[in-house]
Amino acid sequence: MSSRTVPLAWFVVAVILAAGISVTGVATYYATRPSTSPGSLTITDDLGRRDTVTTDPARVVVLGPSIMDSMYRLGLRSHVVGVDCYAPSLGGLSSDYSSDQVTLWNLSSSMCVQTGPVFNIEQLLALAPKLVLASTIVSVGAVEQITQTYHIPVVMLQPATLTGIVLDDDLLGEVFGVPTASSALVASLQNQIFRAASLQANLTANGTPFPTVLVTYSVDGNGYWSFGPTTFGQSLIELASGASIAANATLPYPELSGEQVLLSDPAFVVYGTGYGLNESTYAAGPFWSQLSAPHDGQAFGLDSNYFTEPDPTMILLGLPQLISVLHPASSTA
Amino acid sequence: MAAPGASSPASSKAHGRRTWVLGLLLGLLGLGVLISPLLGTVAISPETVLRILFHQASGGALFSDPCAGASVPASGCAGLIEIVWDARLSEVMLAVVVGAGLGISGGTLQGVFRNPLADPFLLGISSGGTLGAAVVVVFQIDVAQQNLLLPLFAFIGAIATSVVILAAARSRFGSVETLLLTGVALSSFLSSILSLLLLYNPTGSLQVDFWLLGNLGSLDWTQDGIAFGVVLVAGTLLATHGRELNLLQLGPDVAQSLGVDSRKIRVRLLLLASVTTAAAVAFTGIIGFVGLVSPHVVRRVAGSDYRLVLPGAALVGGGFLLAARDLSLVAFPGTLLPIGIFTSFAGAPFFAYLLYRRRQSSTMGGT
Repeated sequence: MSSRTVPLAWFVVAVILAAGISVTGVATYYATRPSTSPGSLTITDDLGRRDTVTTDPARVVVLGPSIMDSMYRLGLRSHVVGVDCYAPSLGGLSSDYSSDQVTLWNLSSSMCVQTGPVFNIEQLLALAPKLVLASTIVSVGAVEQITQTYHIPVVMLQPATLTGIVLDDDLLGEVFGVPTASSALVASLQNQIFRAASLQANLTANGTPFPTVLVTYSVDGNGYWSFGPTTFGQSLIELASGASIAANATLPYPELSGEQVLLSDPAFVVYGTGYGLNESTYAAGPFWSQLSAPHDGQAFGLDSNYFTEPDPTMILLGLPQLISVLHPASSTA
Repeated sequence: MAAPGASSPASSKAHGRRTWVLGLLLGLLGLGVLISPLLGTVAISPETVLRILFHQASGGALFSDPCAGASVPASGCAGLIEIVWDARLSEVMLAVVVGAGLGISGGTLQGVFRNPLADPFLLGISSGGTLGAAVVVVFQIDVAQQNLLLPLFAFIGAIATSVVILAAARSRFGSVETLLLTGVALSSFLSSILSLLLLYNPTGSLQVDFWLLGNLGSLDWTQDGIAFGVVLVAGTLLATHGRELNLLQLGPDVAQSLGVDSRKIRVRLLLLASVTTAAAVAFTGIIGFVGLVSPHVVRRVAGSDYRLVLPGAALVGGGFLLAARDLSLVAFPGTLLPIGIFTSFAGAPFFAYLLYRRRQSSTMGGT
């Protein structure tokens, strides 16, 4: 065995081990999660808060588009009576949800609970929810208020990793008593992650370097905003076997200057679309015309939400689309 | 010339006027407290709101069915009562308490610094409070207890900043100018630390916005009670120092000759004003200009006797914040916006007006 293939073999083993540990972790989590009595469940949420919730609550307010995505994919849309919105005069529903999501999930302004710039407790109380599912777009102080003053259970769903997304979907399945739907969703999520990990292992085993890429979600006269360490965007790029030019940035959401991007000259540029952003927006950025990727037809637009919202769509659609951009041969194989 | 605050033949007349002005301000504030809960982001008829208020205030003796004829949410009448009594009225009362605290602090600081442009936020107290709150959010300290920890850390941050200011006040170089400049420098320093913290934790910035823009919502009666207790005690102590503040206006030497230890009084008043401001900042974040505007309104109406200015500024401050809340709801129906935006809308032009007047009076050789 050559000296080069030994580390590669170890890498493949490490990837498989990591996948195994991940699956074991999920299984352990399921096994150890405590439940109290029939009809209620005591759970620990993503922020370490413990709360007792009634199983299968009929009226639920969802404060976070990523949670709404999970609810829809689990077939629980009918339970949702309210969703997060920005102040009506500052965008309302359309600030938090794309027009596609509004249509697909059948959302309306009457469901709005204003979460920004100030949380509106009156609107929440008027909807009389039995459970609130919230991400960190709501301040923890407000969450505690809902729980302690108004005695409405709140579960904070803010996964820190891609595996966390899978765990949260399983948790929702348990709370709403839909184990079949959640098992199916969890399986499809794990399948996508496994496929990506397999591709990564193959590329590494073959000695194929990961292509360099700039994934940007916004641009201005100074440079391109990207995803640094500890962000979901970076996790997604890594899992899609890409080498982000912002991977070693100091900040989680760094702005790479035009000069930095030009110096790195990534093989691919992936820009976030939606919210009024398109290719012409990025084409106005510094040194765009001098980058190789746009010139070579290797600049692609993907929905910004794929990189920012920690939800099933990120894994089910965002991950395979990013892989198909960075590794077109793998997706056609 | 008789020193302000000293006995004079007109003192009984002045006392009568003081009582009359304070009574009028108190009456107006009371009316505001009754009217303000009629406004909210959920449509409830004024009649139902008033029924609920009287029902709750009387312990259920009045209007046995306060929601009769009203369109109730899925949670029934109990839901409406929660909205009106627990959410809306507690917000209204907090506006009064915080506004009063900021108003009396502003009046005190203007007297201590003998500067009509002094304001609780000029000394960096609010920046300290915001940084304290940001530490809890950014480092996610005991998430389950953040409802308690957030105001506690904000209070500690504000008080810690005040201690630095007080140290400057007690030092040999504790001139009025030094204190003001120390406050400005501290404020900038703390703001830069805050910005750095948020750069490394952008998620936290959503929550820290709450402090930077000022907000009355998401609180309850317990927090109202804590804020009320602190503001009442510290504010009452401040209000008893009207005579000393009057004498301080004549200059430290004159005040000293009239039996006032100006340095000691200045430190004591700064401490009390800091505690009052910290209590307000801890629960609502930065609400600007209330402390600046309120004492001036009282001076315009009733003169510059600090025995009237201090309690008057508390009442005007409460009313000012309440009016800002109500106007925001009228201007943007169904929407809650940070209250600090609206106080700044009113306060910033007033600040410019004060600057203009000061410049004009100095040009004309006035004081």
